[in-house]
Amino acid sequence: MKLGVFELTSCGGCALNLLFLYEKLFDVLEFYEIVEFHMATSQRSKEKLDVAIVTGSVSTQRDLEVVKEARNRAEYLIALGTCATHGGVQGGLENSVKENMKKVYGDIRGPTKVLEPRAVIDYVPVDFAIPGCPYEKEEVFQVLIDIAKGVDPVPKDYPVCLECKLNEYECVLLKKGVPCLGPVTLGGCNAKCPAIGLGCIGCRGPIPDPNIPGLVDILKEIIPEGDISRKLKTFTRW
Amino acid sequence: MIIELDEFTRVEGIGKAEIVIENGSVKEVRVKILEGPRFFELLTVGRNYWDVPDIEARICAICYASHSIASVRAIEKALGIEVPESVEKLRELALLGEIIESHALHLYLLALPDVYGYPDVISMLSKFGELVKEGLAIKAFGNTIRELIGGREIHGINIKPGGFGRYPTEEELGTIAKHANALVRFAKRIVSVFASQEARGAKVEIPMVTSEYLWGDELIVGNERIQYESLDEVPVQYSFAKHTYYKGKPIFVGALARLLLKGDRLVGESSRLLKAYKDKIESGYVIYNNLAQAIELVYALERVSELASEIASEGIEKGSGEASEDSGEGIGYVEAPRGVLVHHYRIEKGRVVWSNTITPTAFNQGMMERSLLEDAKRMFGREPEDRFKNRLEEIVRAFDPCISCSVHLVRL
Repeated sequence: MKLGVFELTSCGGCALNLLFLYEKLFDVLEFYEIVEFHMATSQRSKEKLDVAIVTGSVSTQRDLEVVKEARNRAEYLIALGTCATHGGVQGGLENSVKENMKKVYGDIRGPTKVLEPRAVIDYVPVDFAIPGCPYEKEEVFQVLIDIAKGVDPVPKDYPVCLECKLNEYECVLLKKGVPCLGPVTLGGCNAKCPAIGLGCIGCRGPIPDPNIPGLVDILKEIIPEGDISRKLKTFTRW
Repeated sequence: MIIELDEFTRVEGIGKAEIVIENGSVKEVRVKILEGPRFFELLTVGRNYWDVPDIEARICAICYASHSIASVRAIEKALGIEVPESVEKLRELALLGEIIESHALHLYLLALPDVYGYPDVISMLSKFGELVKEGLAIKAFGNTIRELIGGREIHGINIKPGGFGRYPTEEELGTIAKHANALVRFAKRIVSVFASQEARGAKVEIPMVTSEYLWGDELIVGNERIQYESLDEVPVQYSFAKHTYYKGKPIFVGALARLLLKGDRLVGESSRLLKAYKDKIESGYVIYNNLAQAIELVYALERVSELASEIASEGIEKGSGEASEDSGEGIGYVEAPRGVLVHHYRIEKGRVVWSNTITPTAFNQGMMERSLLEDAKRMFGREPEDRFKNRLEEIVRAFDPCISCSVHLVRL
C-alpha cells in the first residue's frame, strides 16, 4: 500500500513522532511504501495513495492546497495530531489573523496568503482523526496496521479522568486544587500529566459532549474566571 | 530568470528558495519561509506565568526542552525564583538529551543520505543498515532522557519554573549514565563519516553563542559580549522569518559556532576528535556544521554519563518554585541544538504582558542566504540544473534548519 505524509503549519512534532516509532516503523514498512514524506525523503511523487496522513493546521493558502491535494490523491485520509483535528495552539488565538499579522509583521505580507488557522477536518472530510499534542505513537501505529489489514480502527471517546481512575492516581483537581482539564479532555494518553501531579492541559482536545459549565464551576474556586477560558482555548477554539 | 528550488525536503518545516539569475550570472538568493505564522508571542500574553513553558514547548517538537528551559529561566529571572544546583544539573541533562536526539536525527536520518547520494535513509537500509540503526539507537536514547526529565519524548510538561513536577530516581540516573557510555563508540563512527565532506557554503565570520556552554546571561558575538537587543532584526517581504544582523553582517549560531568559540570546554574523546579535525572546524565553512554536530554528539554522550552519575551520587535537592516578586522582566538564553534561543518576558502580577522569542533558525537566515549565494555563484553554469539544485539543498540542510521555529520571531 502507498502511504503519503503531508505537513501543514505546525511544530513538526507529528511528522517527527512517526520517526520515533523506531523499530515499529520497520513493521509499518512491511505493509506500506512511503511515497511522500518531505521530512524523511527527497523523493516526490504524484501517485494515488492508499493512505494519507495530514499533520498541522490549515494556516496558509499553501496549506489549503496541500490538504486538498492529499484528499484528492488518497483513498483513506487520517488527520493526525491536535493541530489537524482541532486547530492546535495557533488555532486557539482569539483575534483575527489579519490583526495578528499587523501586530507582528507590520506591513509584510509574506510569501503566501495567510488564513485563519483551522483544523484539517474543517476543510475536507477525513476518514479518521487521531488527536494529541503530541499524539500517542502507539495509536497511529495501531490505526495504520488496522487499515492495512482491512479492520476499522476504533476512535477513543472517553475523558482523561477515566484513565486517571484506572491508574488509581489521586485526583489533582479535587484533592490538591490543581487546575485540570481532565474531565473534558479526550483520553488515550494514559493520564500523563496527573500521573506526575500536574493538571491536564487539554492537549488532546475535547471529548464529544463535554460538560464545560460543570468544570467551570469547580475551576472558579481555584483560578480567576478569565484564566479558565484561556486554559480551555489553549489547543482549540471549542 | 529565476531558478526555483522545490520545497526543502529532509528538514523540519516548510520553506523553499529562489535563485535570481541576471545576465547569465547569479544575482541574488531568496530563502522563502512558507510555514504559516504561529504567533507564540501573542499566545503567551495574558497567561499566568505557570502555564507559559507548556505553551512555548509547542514552538518546536525537535527542541521542546530548550524552549521550556529558556522559558523557565526567563520567568525565574523576572520573578526572583531561586533554583537549587540539582535542578540546574537536571536541566543540563535535559538539554544534553535534546542535543543527542536532535543531532542524531539530523546526522543519521536527514543529512546522511547526502553523503552517500541517496534520496532518503530508507533506501540506504540494505547497504548501510548498521549505521542507520546505530543512529536510531542514539536518537532513542536522547529521547529517553527527554522523557525522564521532561516528562515526554515530545512536548513534556515536567519542566516548571523553580524545578520539576517529578524528579528522577537514583536508579534511573544510573541506567542513563551506563547507556550513554555504551553509545560513545557509535557516535565516534559518525564523526569520521561527516569529516569526509568537502568545504562548501559561506565561511562563518561572526559566530554567536551563549556565555556558558548550554546557557548564560549574555551572548558572545565574535569577541564581544552583548544582550540580544543590540542585534538588528530585519523583516523581509518574501518570508515569514526575519533576518538578524550584527553590525550589518550575518551571524551564525549552532554546533559549529559553539565549537569555534567554546571548543576548549570539550574533554575526553570529543576533545581529541576536535583536535584531529581542527583545520576543518576552524576553516568555518558552514557544511562543517554537520561535522561539528557529530563531535558534539560524542561530547553530549560523554557529559551525560558523567553528569547523571554525579547527580545520582550527590542526591537531588528539589526546588520550591517560590517567587519573591509578582512582577518583573527576564531573558532566558539557551543553546538549543541548532544554536542560541532567546525567550524574553515582561510579567505583571503573575501574568505575561509582553513576550518575545528568537529562535536559532531565525538567527541563521541571513547566513543561509549568503551561503546559498556563494555556492550558487560557484556552481551556476558548471553543473546540470538538477545537481545544482540538489547541491544547494544540501547546504540548506547543513544549517539543520528548524523552519517551524523560525516563523514567530518577532519583537512586539
